[in-house]
Amino acid sequence: MVVDQEKCIGCGICTVYCPADAIRLVTVDGKRKAEIDQDACLECGTCIRSRVVKCPRGAIYELPKEERSMGRQMRRFFSDPSTAHPRTGVPGRGTEEVKTNDVTGRVCRGELGLCLEMGRPALGTSVREIEKATMHLARCGIVLEDCNPLTDLIEDITTGKFREEYLDERFVSAIIEFRIPFERGEEILNVIRDIAAEIDTVFSLDMITCYDEDGTLPGLELCRSLGISVRDNCKVNLGVGRPYKIERQD
Amino acid sequence: MSHSLHRRGTAESLSHDYILLVTAAAGINAAGSKDKLRRVLDVVWEVGPVNTGSNEVGTILSGVSIEEIKAGFTEIPRVRCVFDSADKMREVIRRLLEMDLGISVTVSGPRLEIEKICAEFGIKPHSVNLSLDIWGKKNELPEEEILEFITMCGHGMISRSLVVDCIEKVKAGRLTPEQAAVRMGSPCVCGFYNPTRAIPMLQKYVPAEKH
Ligand code: SF4
Ligand code: SF4
Repeated sequence: MVVDQEKCIGCGICTVYCPADAIRLVTVDGKRKAEIDQDACLECGTCIRSRVVKCPRGAIYELPKEERSMGRQMRRFFSDPSTAHPRTGVPGRGTEEVKTNDVTGRVCRGELGLCLEMGRPALGTSVREIEKATMHLARCGIVLEDCNPLTDLIEDITTGKFREEYLDERFVSAIIEFRIPFERGEEILNVIRDIAAEIDTVFSLDMITCYDEDGTLPGLELCRSLGISVRDNCKVNLGVGRPYKIERQD
Repeated sequence: MSHSLHRRGTAESLSHDYILLVTAAAGINAAGSKDKLRRVLDVVWEVGPVNTGSNEVGTILSGVSIEEIKAGFTEIPRVRCVFDSADKMREVIRRLLEMDLGISVTVSGPRLEIEKICAEFGIKPHSVNLSLDIWGKKNELPEEEILEFITMCGHGMISRSLVVDCIEKVKAGRLTPEQAAVRMGSPCVCGFYNPTRAIPMLQKYVPAEKH
């Protein structure tokens, strides 16, 4: 985003809303003006939402598409929740994961779904940090979820390497999603420990696991056995969608 | 993405934090489901969510109406509402089971309580997305008191600076906890932020003479 400094009156309302701390007040010709640091701006769109940042002059705007680099457009896709990436067709940064799992069968019994939500919370992530994780995972033969906006930025899915031109782009967060057979859970969680030690940001870790017939959660038991903390609040798919799918037939 | 997951806070505070997600699945049961989802929003609205919204138009907290949210449904419609008690969530599930629409229903909140509600209605839940917490460079994160607010918007739209600013204004007596709770939640465009839960979290900053 950019500030039209002709319009800006330097009131400073906008500055605290930016999750990337990209908006600063500077002095231009003796007058206070807002300025957006283009390296820091993640294109999340918050500052141009008139119901959120009530800029008295409507001074913040987005350059027309033809004047924005591909990298900046990618920042927008990964940072602004109101944009839907053409690959997923849904707003947000990943798939519908557990939300429609009872009908998509994305993760069935005998499997685990894992998501590393890179940069979440609060710190954001560069593509370079995401690549550290995807390259680790690729070495273990992990196949990333195809229906995820990250797929378009990856140069080689077999190595987890991203296209050079995107490495220095930064996003509010991006989700590395994949599914593994349950038997590989311990091995891959240990790889994730290695990734955590290596990266220069944070990630929130999700695990999707189906209920067994007797109501137990194999993924939960696995985490407990490995000493991995599991928060009490989670997201439960009630299983009322149709057509219902919980066993992998293909 | 799992933007209702990874909310932080005490067990007591999180016991006032349930999020309903009713989601049509692209390519499976989304076709022609817009009207069903509009009916869902009407029905759950009667139970009294403390926030709702959509990425497309914004939230009731920032002044959007239910009619605008319904009109803004896309071809893959979704309903998201936040409730401040298990009892309200129980009532919502009861109503949704009665409607029997065949659309996926997911509930974020304390797992044991959700499982208890499922058992009461004789439902076998399908799967769960567990939060395995935060990994990596945690020393760079904001303090836990700030994270508790920030994580109510899973898309990361509530900035650390805004939370700090709201807390400072409450401390200075320039905003009430109620006003600060609304201001802080405005950047959360999906309507996942829970203002009712935020109010007691802000009350501790009210200067002693105002109590
Ligand atoms: S688009 Fe988002 S990151 Fe960029 S300046 Fe505006 S609020 Fe900050
Ligand atoms: S809110 Fe608008 S007028 Fe005020 S400082 Fe920001 S850009 Fe300038």
